[in-house]
Order: sequence, then C-alpha cells, then structure tokens
Amino acid sequence: MPMNKGPKNRLAKGTVRRSVHLAALVSTLAATGLVVLAQSEPVDPRVEGLTFLGEPVLAAEVTAGQRLYADNCASCHGANLEGQPDWRRRLDTGRMPAPPHDDTGHTWHHSDRMLFQITKGGVGAVVPGYESDMPAFGEDLTDAEIAAILVYIKSTWPERQREFQAEVSANDTGG
Amino acid sequence: MKSIEIGCRPNRRKVLTAALSIGVASMLPGFALAASDGDPAALAFDGDTILLARGGLFVSDNGGRTWTATETPGNVLSLATHRDRPGRVVAGLAKGGVSISEDGGASWRVSDAGLPDGEINAVAIASRNPDMIYASVRGDGLWKSEDAGATWSLAMDRPWLDDAERDPLALASVELETGMGGIWIYAGTEVGLARVPDCFCRWQDVRPGNAMDSLVAGEAPPSEAPLPGGEPILSLASAPSAPEVMYAALPSGLWASQDGGVIWQKRASKAATTVAVHSRNETYIAALLGGILKISRDGGATWIETGER
Repeated sequence: MPMNKGPKNRLAKGTVRRSVHLAALVSTLAATGLVVLAQSEPVDPRVEGLTFLGEPVLAAEVTAGQRLYADNCASCHGANLEGQPDWRRRLDTGRMPAPPHDDTGHTWHHSDRMLFQITKGGVGAVVPGYESDMPAFGEDLTDAEIAAILVYIKSTWPERQREFQAEVSANDTGG
Repeated sequence: MKSIEIGCRPNRRKVLTAALSIGVASMLPGFALAASDGDPAALAFDGDTILLARGGLFVSDNGGRTWTATETPGNVLSLATHRDRPGRVVAGLAKGGVSISEDGGASWRVSDAGLPDGEINAVAIASRNPDMIYASVRGDGLWKSEDAGATWSLAMDRPWLDDAERDPLALASVELETGMGGIWIYAGTEVGLARVPDCFCRWQDVRPGNAMDSLVAGEAPPSEAPLPGGEPILSLASAPSAPEVMYAALPSGLWASQDGGVIWQKRASKAATTVAVHSRNETYIAALLGGILKISRDGGATWIETGER
C-alpha cells in the first residue's frame, strides 16, 4: 500500500549516483575554498562552529548560498526561511506546504547527507514514493551550489539547533 | 470504589459497525449486550496494573481476575501510560479533551488548553519523555503537549493514505531511532499503518531500515509482510522493554511484529479491539479478543481468558 506516488525513475537515478556525487561534492567544496582563498585578502575565514559533510565552511560559501537561496528557494520556503503559512496543514492537493528552514521547522533534525539528497533528488530520494511539491534541484544546481545553500541555511540556526544537527550528521552512517 | 466483575463486550470506536460488533459478540458464551453497543474500549498497563476503559474505567491488580471500578473522567476512547511515571494515566475523551491522572486513575485533571474540539481518538506518551504527550483529534490532526498536558500545539496534519487524510485511531511512540535524532510515532488508521519521525517532517510508510540500500545496490527489496489492507487498525502497542516488538488490534485478529512493524504475523483470529503490553515484559499482553479480555504471557502464542461474568 504505497503512501504516495512519486518520481521513482528520478529517485533511482539520483540515489545510485549518491556516493559518487557526495565524494565529488567534498572535492568541489575544497576546490571552491581554494579559489576563494586565492581571491581573498586576507584569508577568507572559516565560519566558526559550522561544517558541512565534515568539512569546514567558509564565509564566502555562506554568502553565495544566501544569494542562491533567494533565487531558488525563497519563493516557497520564505525570504526569511519562515516557510509557507500554516505549513503543518496539508494543501488541498494532499501535499504538505513548504516548511520553514529556521529553527521553528524540522530541517535541523536532518543530517547533512539527507539534506543534500533531498535538495538534489527531491524528497523521494529519502522517502521512496513520497509526493511533494519540492522539485529535485540536481538538474539546475551544481553540487557545490546546493551545498552552499545548505550551509547558508545552517548558518542561521541558533547554537542549540546547530549542535543538534551536527550530532545527527555525525551519527549518520549513510544507510 | 467498588469491586465488580466485568462482562466483556466486543466494541471499540465507531469504526467498527454496531452490526459487526453484535454479530461477533452474540456468538460468545456469556455475552451480554451493552446498553450502548458503540462503547469504546481501551487497555493499558500501569506497572503490573491493568486498566480497562469501557463504559467506565476499571483496574485490575491481579492480572485481570477481578476488577475495581475507579473514577472515570468521561467516556474514554484511548489510554496511555509510561514505564517511568507510575500512576500517570492519560485518557482521550469522546467529548473532546484529555484527562490526566497521576494516581492510577483515582483522580483526574482536565488537560485541554489549546486543543480543538473533537474526539480524542488516540493518545500516546513519548517513550523517552513522560511529559511529552500526543493526542489525535478526530477530523483535525496530531497534537502534542511538551509539558505533561498543560498546553497543546499542533504537531502535524493527519497521515495521507490511499489518496485521503486519515484519522489515527491508534498511536504508539516507538523507541526506534529515526536517524534524525529522535524516534518514531506510529499511527493506525482506518486503512493502514503510517509513521512519522518525532521531528514531524512527514508521514510515511513503514519500511525496512535497509530498503534504500537495496534500492541503490539494485538488489531485491527486503521482505515485508504488512498488516492486511483495508482494515482499521484499532489499537497499537510497542513494548517498552523491546521497542521492535509491536502488537496491533484489527477486526481480522491480533497481530504481532518483531521488527518494528515491517513483518506482521497473526497471533489470534478473533476480532481484536484493543491491546496493551507490559512495560517490562514484551511477551505479556492483554487484549480484547472477540469481546473477551484475554491475557497472554508468551507474546500471543497462547491466551488465558480472565475475569468472570
């Protein structure tokens, strides 16, 4: 009794390439950091207490992520990450509204890996068959851009939510 | 309080039709029709004490042999207790609202601040936090209280199954890790089982933990044997001593799972309306089967009828 229909072909495609893309992502992030380092004087500082997939995050990545978030995410998730109104109630379609990404939502309960998968492959990449209005951004954004958006979102969380999510990420064994 | 003997009747919630209830029950020896055959029923263990809500509230301290009527907060649709808070009993009421007892049902306080009107079909207490209480409001959604019932807020809308929102008829906080820093809340509905992480991100089907791995690897999906479709799941219980052990009461019988609800096996064939499991012994269960309260000490392999008419 499947709960929802969904883009299964997209799911399979996205998930099969998951490990390859995650490895590439870490490399891309490192390369991005090097470019930023080369262009910035003085050295672009790391954002204290913030990592993504175990790697430190640079301030320039957060800045880039903020711009990318405004262009790609804010129309649904809100300019201030506040989500759609009454987001705990279903739409008439049966789908759930876009949740907030600030500390009032549930985003900070998900690991870095899961957030990346959802953004790139859609919610169906982590919950098979789940029907959602959120598209998969893997065709429109690079891995580094997706990562930048996520580090921007993470940068807005209070300390408690950051620490919680860091622990969830650390315990995420990739199963 | 007065000691009485309980005549068991087959009924729980309006999902079961009165005709079905009467049909099943009238075949049982010693059966007596209730004045109102739509009466709900709920069971819970509070330590070794068994609580039965049906037309009133009754407690048994001797494994169901005798029962004592106790103060009832109203027509109770659902009950919840917690292993770490002996005496705390949460009751979901047909008239709406939740009542909470801290003394095993001897006295009650009303807990409805912030709750909308509507029957409380199901209640549960978070396995890891006895002050976190969940309540399902018919026709509305899943609500939570983080302060032992003092205040309530909407946690999430109802699960979406077979192209419609479905009221949870049963709730269980199941202490199995979600991978999101929390545990699961399972809901039995009119048409099947769903679960949501306690961060309330999304309702979803119950799947094997390695389902995604198999999909990625192109392997055969892990075995699943879900509960029969198209039947209401009237009651759910997760064993605190072994959370992967679960029980479900359905019209088709009493079902058990050893793996958190992925594979289910029938343990009794008579219509089951409610089930509860002891907090320290996952094989000690009480259930209303065919309208008769029965006890099993071996996870449902054998049953002992309790009480006398």
